[in-house]
Amino acid sequence: MDPNGEPKIILPVEDNADDEELMLRALRKSNVLNEIIVAHDGVEALNYLFAEGPYAGRDLRIMPQIILLDLKLPKIDGLEVLRRLRADPRTDLLPVVILTSSNEEQDRIAGYGLGANSYVRKPVDFNQFIESARQLGLYWLILNEPPPRRRVLSPVRN
Amino acid sequence: MIASLCAAFLLSSFLRRSISEPIIHLAKIAKVVSRDKNYHLRAPPSENHDEIGILIQSFNEMLGQIELRHADLIKAYDDLDRRVDERTFQLEAANKELEAVSYSISHDLRSPLRSIDGFSHALLEDCAESFDAQGRAHLARIRNAATRMGVLIDDFLNLARLTRAEIQLEDVDLRSLAQSIASDLRASTPERDVDVTIQPGLQAHADPSLLHLTLGNLFENAWKFTSNRPSARIEFGRTTANGRSAFFVRDNGAGFDPVYATKLFGAFQRLHTASEFPGTGIGLATVQRAVQRHGGMVWADSRPDRGATFYFTLERRQS
Repeated sequence: MDPNGEPKIILPVEDNADDEELMLRALRKSNVLNEIIVAHDGVEALNYLFAEGPYAGRDLRIMPQIILLDLKLPKIDGLEVLRRLRADPRTDLLPVVILTSSNEEQDRIAGYGLGANSYVRKPVDFNQFIESARQLGLYWLILNEPPPRRRVLSPVRN
Repeated sequence: MIASLCAAFLLSSFLRRSISEPIIHLAKIAKVVSRDKNYHLRAPPSENHDEIGILIQSFNEMLGQIELRHADLIKAYDDLDRRVDERTFQLEAANKELEAVSYSISHDLRSPLRSIDGFSHALLEDCAESFDAQGRAHLARIRNAATRMGVLIDDFLNLARLTRAEIQLEDVDLRSLAQSIASDLRASTPERDVDVTIQPGLQAHADPSLLHLTLGNLFENAWKFTSNRPSARIEFGRTTANGRSAFFVRDNGAGFDPVYATKLFGAFQRLHTASEFPGTGIGLATVQRAVQRHGGMVWADSRPDRGATFYFTLERRQS
């Protein structure tokens, strides 16, 4: 729970079912017991964060404590998701960790350039994956002070 | 007296008109041709069929030849320009292709390995009672193979990156670079006692990070292949080899059969089994790529069990 008594949600954006299951397993194994909402592509992530589509009407005061963003995603890729988050006052301060397979220079430059808070490469070795999940959970859910919540003006919908 | 003066005057003005003036005119044209590089110009032909007439004709023939050669030269330049443009275009296309392949490998090839390793791990944990010692050993092999392939992919990507990277030349103190590499190796294997000798005053004008890769890999190899020696020795210096000045890293380690010397620098080529000496076979391919990026070369000299010497240069051979 955060200071307002709301759950500290983790939002992985991950299209690969194997990676999703391994990530959930790694988080569980490292005793991260927070609520985890998985978005399976860029569109689903944006729908959730902006309460649109299937998530219309969702309480926009509840935002994830951390977004774990893969880069290569169907429909809207990770960098475009990041760009749209940073362009919107409702999500521009949300902590985003890019969690992806590649450590290509162009991805790191683009990721940090668009305002990612961190860039972590998914390891092949599952023991290392568990360790990465443990450290990410410790840092972003416990050590890190999240940005204060902005007074959110959600668009009026009929 | 007066008659002879008149005769002299007439003779000199005749000589001036018929000899000096055409030659001065010729010289003027030659000057204009050389100043303006205008090879279309011709000297007006002489009406006389004397030596001056022949001289003017030869001069004009020479200009004709120069004009032809000049046109050939311009055409050759244009051809060369076009060929350089074409090659540059092909090279850029190949580099882009390499970049695209690398990008795809980086994103897509590691993910199935993560599944193989991760779900083997899950099998061992969730279904432990289904496996006896042999089953667990098989799974351990699967996991090792996945991890190893992950390392191979990373090595491959680093090598491709090396090919694309821009190089920036600086003055590098090779002695202190080698000293820091050696002290890193000492720190990583404090139990080893290796005698490292580095010549003083070793300098190079080269890309510092590529040079670090080059020396780092050569030292790591020397370190690795002397691991069975009770008194291991590594020497780094500059010498004359194959008729040119080259840097060298010499060790008294396991060495190799010179028959295989050409295989040494290929990516993922190994002359020893992983159980003898660990490695993926990327080190010397990296060294070769790094020195080639400087226009230099690398070669080796060895006998089995008699140590190895690796030579490298960082400049194009002066021919």
